[in-house]
Amino acid sequence: MFTVRRWWDRKGWQSVLLMVVIAGAWMLRQTQGALLLELYQTIASPFKMLQPGISIEEPIRDARLLELQTRVADLESQNQKLKNLLGYVKEESPSSHLIPARVVGRSADHWWQQVTLDRGTNAGIQEGFTVKADGGLVGLIESVTPNTSRVLLISDLKSLVGVTVSRTSAKGVLRGDSSSEAVLEFYEKVPNVKIGDLVATSTYSQKFPSGWAVGKVISLDLKRAPSPVARVELFPPIRSLDWVTVYPKTGNGD
Amino acid sequence: MKISRFSGNRQRGPKLSKKSLIQPLARWHPGTRQLVNWLVMFGSVLLCLLMLPTRFPGMELLGIGPNWLLIWVVSWSVKRSVFAGIIAGIILGLLQDGMTSPDPTHAISLGIVGGLTGLIQKQRFIQEDFISIALIVFGMAVLSETIFGLQLVLMGDYSGESVWAYYQRVALASAILNSLWAPVVYYPLNHWWQKIKLLEQF
Repeated sequence: MFTVRRWWDRKGWQSVLLMVVIAGAWMLRQTQGALLLELYQTIASPFKMLQPGISIEEPIRDARLLELQTRVADLESQNQKLKNLLGYVKEESPSSHLIPARVVGRSADHWWQQVTLDRGTNAGIQEGFTVKADGGLVGLIESVTPNTSRVLLISDLKSLVGVTVSRTSAKGVLRGDSSSEAVLEFYEKVPNVKIGDLVATSTYSQKFPSGWAVGKVISLDLKRAPSPVARVELFPPIRSLDWVTVYPKTGNGD
Repeated sequence: MKISRFSGNRQRGPKLSKKSLIQPLARWHPGTRQLVNWLVMFGSVLLCLLMLPTRFPGMELLGIGPNWLLIWVVSWSVKRSVFAGIIAGIILGLLQDGMTSPDPTHAISLGIVGGLTGLIQKQRFIQEDFISIALIVFGMAVLSETIFGLQLVLMGDYSGESVWAYYQRVALASAILNSLWAPVVYYPLNHWWQKIKLLEQF
């Protein structure tokens, strides 16, 4: 009798604890690990000073140049159109309130391309804000905790960005490929595009501001069955992001 | 089985133990020991969770880091029952969901990994420890990547082609990396659990 009771005492306790643990794990899952991320941020913050700053100047400057080149090409084509539509003036929202942030963590899984930033709602970041690094668009804020935020990178498999080829305004969707390249699927059957063309975010994009540099076309497959595709080399160094800038959501839906 | 000679007398434990750390451990109250055991369990899982987003130099291969939770699940279930393995896998899978995208869930792949590792019954068939653990982790990493890839395809939001292309690139790298780092998690945890098991047999 005694042994049975003792067994029950131990197993009973164990099953209660097990339930508590499962419930806790489920809660963490539903809150997107907010508690864990905060803890991670607390632990990681002293170590940030040890990380080397931006050490490789050359590729950064290169990326910057490419970004500006894309901007210029985009502005030129836009300017041409504006001349045609004489009198058309587009109101640009003043790009105030930028939030600089630093990458403190990478993705916790091979399949998703995410990074964790060291700023959150306390710094004014909200879900849906866009993230930019030297070189151009990097991603979208996916979830926020008080002191951290998680960014879905444009190289992720589930990321979709409406983009346009700056030279010819050929439109398409940029799909991530979990690498430093992405796949651009065109809407048109015969898009006017060639290797080396620069790609920027499209005015059609609901989630991202238009005219941000994204990448450069490095190969083309125009005979692909559902829609022609191009491989695009992304300008921002997705693999080694350090400092990024978070931009508030812009109403680009008009 | 050697332990059975000592016939449950805790007073004699210290004299008989070979390893020095057992001596203080054996004198502890069983409740305290249980508590410390839970703390070690939670602490190691928490450490593995917090290691997931970091990439220390040398830990990266093709842009991916080791899946510490998978290594933990294998270390846990290798000397335990199938049920314990499945439960641990599901719990850690839910935790990993919290650290990254929750859809599709990681609980399925890690649960299956835990169950299968429990099924192997390593202690009965394989005596040697390190290489067999590395091999088990290697196989389980490939398995979990496969299951996760299948989940992605079955969800229907992703084209099978792109998932397959990524799977080919990542499965082998992940398996190699995980099996190389497996002893780092396995050795201390196994050491501790062996000791606890030894003491509970008194």
